[in-house]
Amino acid sequence: MGEEQVFALRDVSLQIGNNEYVAIMGPSGSGKSTLMNMLGCLDTPTSGLYTFKGQNVRTMSDDDLAEIRNREIGFVFQTFNLLPRATALKNVELPLVYSGVSADKRRERAEAALDSVGLGDRKEHKPNELSGGQRQRVAIARALVTSPSIILADEPTGNLDTKTGQEIMAVFEQLWLHGKTVVLVTHEEDVARYARRIIRVRDGLVESDTVTT
Amino acid sequence: MIRSSEFAESFRIAVASLRANLLRSVLTTGGVVVGIFIVVLMGWLIRGLDSVWEQTISIIGRDMIYIDKWNWAGGRNWRLAESRKDVTLDQVMALADRMESPEYVIPMTRQWGGSISYGSKSLRTSIVGTDSDYGATPAGSILDGRFFTSVEDQQSSNVAVVGFGTAKTLFPDESAVGKTIKIRDIPYRVVGVIEKRGFLFMDFIDQQVFIPLRSFRAAFGFQGRSFSAAIKAGNERMLDVVRAEAVGTMRVIRNVPPHKEDDFAVNEMEAFDEQAKSIRFWIWVVGIGLTVLAFIVGSIGIMNIMFVSVTERTKEIGIRKALGARRSSILMQFLVESTFLCLFGALIAMPVAQIVVAAIHTIATSVYDFEAASAVSILIPLDLLGIAIFVSIIVGILAGIIPAFRASRLDPVEALRFE
Repeated sequence: MGEEQVFALRDVSLQIGNNEYVAIMGPSGSGKSTLMNMLGCLDTPTSGLYTFKGQNVRTMSDDDLAEIRNREIGFVFQTFNLLPRATALKNVELPLVYSGVSADKRRERAEAALDSVGLGDRKEHKPNELSGGQRQRVAIARALVTSPSIILADEPTGNLDTKTGQEIMAVFEQLWLHGKTVVLVTHEEDVARYARRIIRVRDGLVESDTVTT
Repeated sequence: MIRSSEFAESFRIAVASLRANLLRSVLTTGGVVVGIFIVVLMGWLIRGLDSVWEQTISIIGRDMIYIDKWNWAGGRNWRLAESRKDVTLDQVMALADRMESPEYVIPMTRQWGGSISYGSKSLRTSIVGTDSDYGATPAGSILDGRFFTSVEDQQSSNVAVVGFGTAKTLFPDESAVGKTIKIRDIPYRVVGVIEKRGFLFMDFIDQQVFIPLRSFRAAFGFQGRSFSAAIKAGNERMLDVVRAEAVGTMRVIRNVPPHKEDDFAVNEMEAFDEQAKSIRFWIWVVGIGLTVLAFIVGSIGIMNIMFVSVTERTKEIGIRKALGARRSSILMQFLVESTFLCLFGALIAMPVAQIVVAAIHTIATSVYDFEAASAVSILIPLDLLGIAIFVSIIVGILAGIIPAFRASRLDPVEALRFE
């Protein structure tokens, strides 16, 4: 008797098109985080196929995955995941550091990204000098700065109060309206309602996949 | 591919991390500080030794050849030398007569541990009987007074020329010239003091007392005594010619059959070079040993703190990876940081080393009145600083490679989950 293999996800088959607004829902342990990690190229499936813009992700090297994350995907996390010792501006510049953009250009683009989320006057503040909503805006600016095609948000309002959460969701709505593909992971129905398609995951299986209006 | 933007970022992180953990960083670099300190000090000492040595030898003259019964640097030939017949004064004088190439051929003989006294002070030192020509060589260069003359030699006058060290011991506060010392209870008038000539193991040179040969005979006798011929070639290029002539002539004088080896020794300054080399070698061995030890301790310390740093910043590594940092980006970040720590250590060590070097230099020149030390720079040479920086970069990379590699291999999902 060997150990039983546990699959976080099984028999998942889905396709997300350009400029969709998708919410992935499910209770904790359902496999929704694993699904998001795979969509975000942080993790690769042990078997099966994941193609990102026509490329097979499973056979990619770590550095290729890093490159995709850098150019194509913007992450927004529940706990913001900002670097505590860096200013808002430096935090937003960070992805550009890894795409080799010069310091001048980095600053310019980071400032523009911060302006676009309404934080033009908080550039030199450090995360601990900002409110939760402001921190999440910095994180969104950071996700946007490389002009990725996809924004992946993992419980983006989980650490925010309702009103701030609504403001943040309004930002995602705008991004979607401007042509980004937005994928939300959440367990809150209120948040999922912003999306135009809801994928429900339970016990590693896709339970339902519905397009809302 | 390493991007300059990433390198700049790595550097910025390293500086920020150093500032954030200043005390920890200073303590961590302790081993590296000691290592760099030893490297710099050792390098400076060897340079100093070399240049002081070169100066000393050149003062005495590299163009000197000594024909002796005994080899200077040949402990293992001791039995061989002992079985040789003494070199007599007549042989030395015959050599002086017959040789044409050298500037001088000077007869010398020596009484080791002869007692001399001035008033209540007395000491035992090497008493040399020689002729007035010795005063014409750089080794006999006079600081105060004069060397004895050939007339004084012929008349067997009781006059003495003392070395710098002996003068200092017997006449610490007054001029030695004109004073009367006693050698074997025979009064001698001091007519001159020789300039400081020796250093380190050549110190004995300054302790010698020179008296005319004839007066030496009166004091100590020539019976059973071996003489040396001190031959001054004139310049170094003449050395080979003079050596060949001296050996050939001496073989004839001493009737050495053609198939036999020389039954006398040919001593040159190079014999002392060997000793200088061995001192140099031991400074290296001890220095390198201590340095390696310090760097091992230092790099373990740095490696340890880098592991701590990687663990502390696991989450940060996860964030950076999520945002597109490649393995090489993370690897470089931590390598730059560990290297930076080592350079920081070097930065601490260098001024300390400079202060110590300046102190040694000052003590050597003024307290020990060691004039030759002034040939050595009080500043650490730039290339030594360059070597120190190079070594600290290497140590930084070696100490950082394992933690940095571990950091670069972290799984982004796991790292992001780390709290």
